[in-house]
Amino acid sequence: MTLELDGLTHRYGSGRALDDVSLALDDGELVALLGPSGCGKTTVVQAIAGHLDPTAGRVSLRGTDVTAAPPEDRNVGLVFQRPTLYPHMTVGENVAYGLESGDLTTDQVSNRVDRYLELVELADRRDVSPASLSGGETRRVELARALAPEPDVLLLDEPLSALDKGLRARLRDEIIRIQRETDVTTLFVTHDQEDAMSVADRLVVLREGEVVAAGPPRQLYNSPPTRFVASFLGRSNELSARVESGESSIVTIGGTDLPADALTDGLADAPRAAVHVRPSDLTVRSMTRSGEQSSEAESISDRSGASADGGASNERPGMIGMPGTVTHVRDVGRRYDVCVEVDSGESVTVERHRNGLRENERVTVTAAASDLTAFPVPERTAE
Amino acid sequence: MSLVDATRSVTSSRRLPPLLVFGLLGGILLVYFALPFAVFLGRTGSVPVVETLLETASRTAVRNSLLTAPAATAVATAFGVPLAYVLARETFPGKRLIEALVVLPLVVPPVVGGAMLLSVVGRFTPIGAAAARVGVPLTDSLLGVVLAQTFVAAPFVVITARAGFGAVDERLEQASRSLGYGPIATFRRVSLPLASRAIVAGVVLTFARAIGEFGATMMVAYNPRTMPTRIWVDFISGGIDAIVPLALALLAVTLVVVVTVQRFAGVPTVVER
Repeated sequence: MTLELDGLTHRYGSGRALDDVSLALDDGELVALLGPSGCGKTTVVQAIAGHLDPTAGRVSLRGTDVTAAPPEDRNVGLVFQRPTLYPHMTVGENVAYGLESGDLTTDQVSNRVDRYLELVELADRRDVSPASLSGGETRRVELARALAPEPDVLLLDEPLSALDKGLRARLRDEIIRIQRETDVTTLFVTHDQEDAMSVADRLVVLREGEVVAAGPPRQLYNSPPTRFVASFLGRSNELSARVESGESSIVTIGGTDLPADALTDGLADAPRAAVHVRPSDLTVRSMTRSGEQSSEAESISDRSGASADGGASNERPGMIGMPGTVTHVRDVGRRYDVCVEVDSGESVTVERHRNGLRENERVTVTAAASDLTAFPVPERTAE
Repeated sequence: MSLVDATRSVTSSRRLPPLLVFGLLGGILLVYFALPFAVFLGRTGSVPVVETLLETASRTAVRNSLLTAPAATAVATAFGVPLAYVLARETFPGKRLIEALVVLPLVVPPVVGGAMLLSVVGRFTPIGAAAARVGVPLTDSLLGVVLAQTFVAAPFVVITARAGFGAVDERLEQASRSLGYGPIATFRRVSLPLASRAIVAGVVLTFARAIGEFGATMMVAYNPRTMPTRIWVDFISGGIDAIVPLALALLAVTLVVVVTVQRFAGVPTVVER
């Protein structure tokens, strides 16, 4: 393990910022630490870099316990959300800064500066002031500065958050490329699930100072282990469900019954469940204009119709259809977000690629049972 | 056209310069600064400036001031900049109290400050007596002048430098630490250069305050005379005209120092584009 956190806990005054966080990064791995703002991500970074002294727990780098070591003895590269290039030095001097603290000769330092400025494709800006760089160039110089001393671990703390969208995507690709080329073990900290999923080999989801999920991005997205992960990774609708245990359990979602074995196992014990479904997995069709059935709905019903074993009270086996009313349609450019209040009173968002629905129109929202993820809700906390 | 639009177009047709009121009020204060200055300098013609300055008493006063004020400034800077850095970076219980202590010499009238100093270093206090016995009297000596000037002037460099360090993003220091530099090296290579303008401004203010210091100096070391104490003596014996030469000299010295320091030490440390 290149980096290992073991039971890291930190309190600021009376507030708990981190609670028993453990994670490990393999050599050359790119792991994203993902969580909403205020979940303790930056505290993790600060603890790894040595800029704060955790209340409890251990930080190990390459098998050595460094919890008590000062930052300068850790060999950790750091890129912050806001630029930290030194305005009183040139770009080249900034990159050389971390090399001059070691025992390299002047020539070696100079060569290394050239090499890392070439890596970030800014070799021609070596002698300019950081103030004359663009936002993206600044980030790249910071990467070069952090990488030049060849750190054991590179920590990127929200490196893209201050950039606008196009630049962000470009720099994201750049970070992936640089990481592949240098093969440096990297912890990419972000609140943006899109950044995290597109960059990382592995995701670690942090919530209120606790690790709530870890695994490959696609796996966490497709089968989220908790409700929080389901709603935080990508867009998600949450519907409450009632489970009636009997000879064959029945789940009632939005007024539609479904055999419980069509959903996740283990629901039978809990009387209530929260069911998550992605807006892109829902289809919506008008009740009044039956001729206008979307092709997306057809394909879904074809797919799930074959495997369904029937039994639901709905017209199509393996599907649930929830009647409801359109509350509004939002045009977000590449798609329409249709908000529907289903008759059980809950609100769902459906992604649709063409318009044609009006507000207050009566519709049926359809989902395949296989696209639903159900989480049992313990009785105590049921709302 | 709405009512709002109508009102707007009326006001814009007879629009006044936006800063007119501020300019007028500020201008009154400027006149109040400039008038005494100009009238006082107007007396220069009727006074033998150069001859007076060449007198032994005047020359000694100038020399004493030029020895003590830089010394006081150096002492204030050597101890004040570290204090400013701690105040800018650390939070600790009782910090408010420390901050109040730093501005205390600014709030207390210099004469009272001098009296307070005397109560510690005066000739009949344990410290003062001990120092006098080993031959370095802390009152009525150049050292006494330095003590008085430092007490009164040091808060300027502390307060200004503190603001300068406060404006340096702590992450720049964290980045430096992670790039392999200890706290002292980080201070020297990052914090100090980035706060240098504020520190220089503080040093200049401290020097100007030190060289003009009268109240506390008068209490602690009325002798040997510095320019301000000599000016007081001349004023008692000869009135306003008698102090014109030394006042001019004091002004000249201060101006030269301020301009020189800002020119050489205050050059922007930022790489020019």
